[in-house]
Amino acid sequence: MVFSPVLSVQERKAASLVSQRLHQHNSRCSSSRQLGLDFVENQIWIRTQWIFSALQSNSYNNEMKCLLVSNEKAEVLFYWTDSEFEQHVQEQYGHFQEEGERLPAFEDSINTLFAPIIISGSTMVDIVGDSYTSFSTENNHIYVLHQFDECLYIAVNGDGEETEEDLKRKIYVMKKLTEVMFGMVTLSSALLRKELRPQDTVQRNRLWQKLRGLLETYSRLREQDQSFLVEAVERLIHPTLCEQCIEFLERRVVQQINNSVERAGEEVLHAFILVHTKLLAFYSSRNASSLTTSDLLALIILVQDLHPSKMDLDDGAPEEMENSSVPDVFYTPESSPLDRESVQARGESPPVFQFVDPDIQMAEDSLKTLEVQTPDPSAPSRVFLEATLKNEGFFPMMPHSMYCLPLWPGISMVLLTKIPDSHIAMNVYVYLEAFVKLEKRLCEGQGAATRGQPSIQEHRSKLDRFIRTLASMDIQTTQLQNAWTDFKNKAFTRSGPGFTKDLLPSCRNMKTQLCSVYRQCFAAECMSSSQRLPPHMQERALSMVQEKLMDWKDFLLVKSKRNITMEFPGLIHFVYLDRSGGQMIAPSLNVSDRTASELGKGPLAHFIKDKVWGLVATSRRYLQKGYTTATIRDGDYFYCYFLWFENESGYKLEVIDIPSLPEDSAPIGMLAWDYYRKLLRYYSKSHQSEVVKCYELLTVHLGVIPTEYILQHCSQLARKLWEPSRIPLL
Amino acid sequence: MAATPPSTDSRRCLFFFLYDNSKVQKEGDLTRDGIYYFYPDDTPIDQQELLCGQLAGVCRCVSELSKSPVRLLRLRRSKYAVCMKDSFLWALSCVVDIPDVSVCDFLNQLIDLFCFYNGPVRQSYQLYSQEELAQRWAKYLCHLQGGSTELHNIFSCLRTIDSTHIDPLLLLKAALILQACQRCPLVLSGCILYRGRVVSTQMPPALTQKVMVYETETYSQDNRVAANGLCSSVGTSLSFTVTTQVFLTTNELHMMRCSPVDRACRTHCSQPPSRSRNSRLLSRTLSDTLTADTDSLNLEPTDCPPKSNATKPSSPRSSLSDESCFSPSPSIVNSPLNSRMNQSEYFTPQSHDHSVANGPNSSKVKEPCLTGSLTGLNTKERVAEDAYEKLDSGCSSKSISKVINSDQELNHKEKIKSFSNGYQLQSNCLENHSDSFYQDNQTDTPEGQQLNANNHTTNTNDRLQRDTEDEGRPKNEQVDKGEQILKDNVNNICNPPNAPLQHETLVDGSLVPTVLYQHRVRGLVLALLVETDFNTDPTAREEVYHSSLASLNGLEAHLRSTSPGTPSIQGPYTFTHYDCIQNTLTTNVCGHSAGPQDRAFVKATALLHSHFSQTDTLQEAIVRNASSAVYGTHTTAQETYFLQQGVPVRNSGSPDAQDSAFSLPKKARQRLLKHGVNLL
Repeated sequence: MVFSPVLSVQERKAASLVSQRLHQHNSRCSSSRQLGLDFVENQIWIRTQWIFSALQSNSYNNEMKCLLVSNEKAEVLFYWTDSEFEQHVQEQYGHFQEEGERLPAFEDSINTLFAPIIISGSTMVDIVGDSYTSFSTENNHIYVLHQFDECLYIAVNGDGEETEEDLKRKIYVMKKLTEVMFGMVTLSSALLRKELRPQDTVQRNRLWQKLRGLLETYSRLREQDQSFLVEAVERLIHPTLCEQCIEFLERRVVQQINNSVERAGEEVLHAFILVHTKLLAFYSSRNASSLTTSDLLALIILVQDLHPSKMDLDDGAPEEMENSSVPDVFYTPESSPLDRESVQARGESPPVFQFVDPDIQMAEDSLKTLEVQTPDPSAPSRVFLEATLKNEGFFPMMPHSMYCLPLWPGISMVLLTKIPDSHIAMNVYVYLEAFVKLEKRLCEGQGAATRGQPSIQEHRSKLDRFIRTLASMDIQTTQLQNAWTDFKNKAFTRSGPGFTKDLLPSCRNMKTQLCSVYRQCFAAECMSSSQRLPPHMQERALSMVQEKLMDWKDFLLVKSKRNITMEFPGLIHFVYLDRSGGQMIAPSLNVSDRTASELGKGPLAHFIKDKVWGLVATSRRYLQKGYTTATIRDGDYFYCYFLWFENESGYKLEVIDIPSLPEDSAPIGMLAWDYYRKLLRYYSKSHQSEVVKCYELLTVHLGVIPTEYILQHCSQLARKLWEPSRIPLL
Repeated sequence: MAATPPSTDSRRCLFFFLYDNSKVQKEGDLTRDGIYYFYPDDTPIDQQELLCGQLAGVCRCVSELSKSPVRLLRLRRSKYAVCMKDSFLWALSCVVDIPDVSVCDFLNQLIDLFCFYNGPVRQSYQLYSQEELAQRWAKYLCHLQGGSTELHNIFSCLRTIDSTHIDPLLLLKAALILQACQRCPLVLSGCILYRGRVVSTQMPPALTQKVMVYETETYSQDNRVAANGLCSSVGTSLSFTVTTQVFLTTNELHMMRCSPVDRACRTHCSQPPSRSRNSRLLSRTLSDTLTADTDSLNLEPTDCPPKSNATKPSSPRSSLSDESCFSPSPSIVNSPLNSRMNQSEYFTPQSHDHSVANGPNSSKVKEPCLTGSLTGLNTKERVAEDAYEKLDSGCSSKSISKVINSDQELNHKEKIKSFSNGYQLQSNCLENHSDSFYQDNQTDTPEGQQLNANNHTTNTNDRLQRDTEDEGRPKNEQVDKGEQILKDNVNNICNPPNAPLQHETLVDGSLVPTVLYQHRVRGLVLALLVETDFNTDPTAREEVYHSSLASLNGLEAHLRSTSPGTPSIQGPYTFTHYDCIQNTLTTNVCGHSAGPQDRAFVKATALLHSHFSQTDTLQEAIVRNASSAVYGTHTTAQETYFLQQGVPVRNSGSPDAQDSAFSLPKKARQRLLKHGVNLL
């Protein structure tokens, strides 16, 4: 590709605006990319990108990453690519140097590229009953494919930094994030398609930008943050302060809000304070269901996406904390005036630039897609979280509102509220579950299932009443009503087919209509602007906590970098995990050139960091195959991995053979799929009389230390770390 | 003669196919036209088409996206090692339990094996029918799957005789026979096999593996010449020789031709440790059996005798004490030993004479053979007819009639002949550029063949003799033409533009025809890789044949009288020791009727091996679950796995210095010493 570096005045003007964009974008992620651009803008953008890549060539290494969600018709429901991948695709399709020729929409190109793989995949399922899970090429590109219901996820890596397992995990996390964002709508593929791919391009691009941001935030955290590496929550170890904060959250925040008449039906269930990704204090109100580790980790990703803290491995410089008026700026020199502009543009005000040139006006439509939605600071995010209620039972995706209140850069308070009418969600779930079960039985050909019939019969009158109630609440129920009438006619009348396979379409339609009602009531975009805690209440809560923690602020930020220190000579690193509580303790891994940690700094620290990341992958590999202990001598280092069970009083229980998982099983972890919950359930079968807890310890020692000493030390470490891990979250 | 499929237990290949994309380009083209070979062959054609079509399509799509061929394709229940080359696609599927590295190795071995016996793939399919080549693929597949335990699915290792039950002196004797053979400068490298197992080898493991393919079959059918055999067969039913055209990569050839000093240097300096496994050449027997004099043995001065140095005083013979083992023919003493230069000088004048004298005749006979070999299928029929005539009228010898059982086989033979001639041409042409004296060697071909015929093939009549002579001597213009076409062929087949890096055979592209000489004495086979000139050099043949005959007989008798031996020493432990350099396995896991602990051992071994193969720096690992703990250790030269049997002590699995699992390394070191495995 040869581009002329000489730009026209017009182009230069536009380029500066686009470069602003790029900067803005760069500040969120390491790669710059735009999509669906018109030709003119593309020209500018590509030229700008060329200039940029010439200036900072190191940020354009050969990455080639992509994540694609498509349905069975090979329609793109969502995609994310890095600049390298985008360039690659454009090289295959675009002749963008030639004037007047429009670049095919990037989305179409992607679609064309992947369609054969997707279609071949579904052919294989149809005929051989097996589907592709991965491809790897001679130049070490990896493609991982995974199908969830009717959605096929494809993740690609071309830089060797992610393994097949990492890509699979990314896919599962993506799925988890859509569940958190869309709730039970994900259970209907037709609705999910509409949700992920809104007809309106502006809306679609806004949504996709949001999802891309989340995905990039997750990738960054997994790459840099130990708690996202091992998928457990890290807490700041300061029992006194923690206790004070919990008390404060309870008395001054949660109780005050919940006792107020102005709360608009919202009820705070959980409140917690995060210092970067570490948890300082967590309070749940008495009648709240406990928050699962999986959901908590997902929420931290959301918070990090809203208020990205520059908590990658090389910060912690004190000057940065003092300079708290300038929020985090990534990958751009701090002195540049452009950055401040871009930060402002992103944070507070709508985009400041507009194109005036008629040529560029052409691109206006597509430019709209770039606009950042004017953020409303007091608007909560809609999140769908798992709830297990004492009397009512288990509900996987209950709507909540999340208020993320930034205390200082790097420190945020999060309030999770139960929204009014959330009982509708519970009802929908109950009926939905009944129809899912019925569908399954019908598919298996159980016909007029003896168990199925009463189940739906049981619900019959309740569902009638439920639909009437909905109608009285100004909720569109015509279609649900029609579907239900149709179902009843077919299932319960003599003229209908009864409970046979012929009932399947009606059954599926009921599912869709229930999901549709759920969507109407709870989807983020359907949230009315009045349905929230009034801004002044949020502000008051914020300022109270700010006041409370004012003196601790700097301490906390430093503490988050030096959570725990090590004393054993020869021990290089460890990670201690309480899998029952979903918590981890580990010394920080600072890879900064500015600050030295226990590991020293620079290349050595990077080396150790890579080793730790590798050790976690290895231990998971062995655990997947049923090995709960592994010791590995690798170069100059000695690694240990232990998994064991204890009862509540700390007595170590006997090890049992744990199942070896198949190759295509979900990745081991707690964020997207909670392996340890399953493991604990499995173990508890043989220990039903007591509460079983599960722990893991990973250590890295110098290889010269005799093995006996290393093992001795591991057991000391496990004993010592047991105490802090027992400080309850609540 | 379809290969019998191995039992399902040991079968590691679920599907294997070779598919040619270029045959299926247009809308109307049938997928089945692109399928060259499909295993298992009883798969319904519809399913074959589906699998080939889908996999080939998806692989092409992915490789276009990544600009690189697909190497591994995974499904939920199986995985495919894939090789994409030109328009060809090989895919071999295994169950998911087998490590990726093992599956990919398996496919590479299979393709290498095919190329070793048949030359470049495209050309093979021009020369032979798909049915014939299908039989060969089946045979190679069968051979590679022939391992006796599941461990063989993990380590693609050579089958060796159990050295613990054999007098070490016999191994020494075998090694000495090989060394003696190398006094003939045309001999590149050799190995001795007994009943399908390696006794001693000088070749790299990959080559030994290839050489062994037809051994088992030949052994079972006793007197029959191997299906792919070429040229003559000599001697009684108990002892005879076969030479077969084979193809070596230039790397392999270079490695065997170069002097030991150079090789030692190269293996140490330029080869990454992980690669050394397939490229180091060590004499197994010597290093294994001799304990004294290790220093001198490590240098292995006799492993590959210097061939270009005529004046080198220390010929291997002088260092041998076991002279009684050999009965050197006078030719060895008289002919200029170890000197290619001398030899070529010696033959040059004569060969020139021949060349002139037989010129016109040669052109007449040569033509069909040459074109046959070059343009393949078009003239195949004609060549075959021609050859049939010749053989039918001329050949009445028992040895040859034994070989030719049917028209089909005859056709086959002739095709090979013409093919190999074409290839001799190629090699000569190629070598002309690099090495002047090769030309001299080439021209002495007819003389060699004549002598060869006179000395060994007593029943062959004159006409056949003359034909063979003539075939070896083409006219100059034909040479030129042939050279051009062959060059093009070679370029197209072996070095396509933008060819991606592949495993060895495909990477360096050029396959050089060489000859595999096999001398059989009942169950014992001496297999030598020799220069192509060996076939036509009667002195060399005689020298090798006679020098080894007596000792081979003696060795065979000794090996036969050795009892098969009791099973390996059983102890309260299970172990496997894999020699990465020699590609051999020592284990006390036997057969398929493995108990649960053996299964646990194999499972852990597969996992650890996979891990070791990914991480060079990994030295040792212990993995433990509730019922077993396995210790694995790894260097560039070897991998050892050890499991202590018995019910493990009850424990919690939490870190505990008293845990017995952590004493495994110590136990392994002690226990395995008596198996000759030194972990210190």
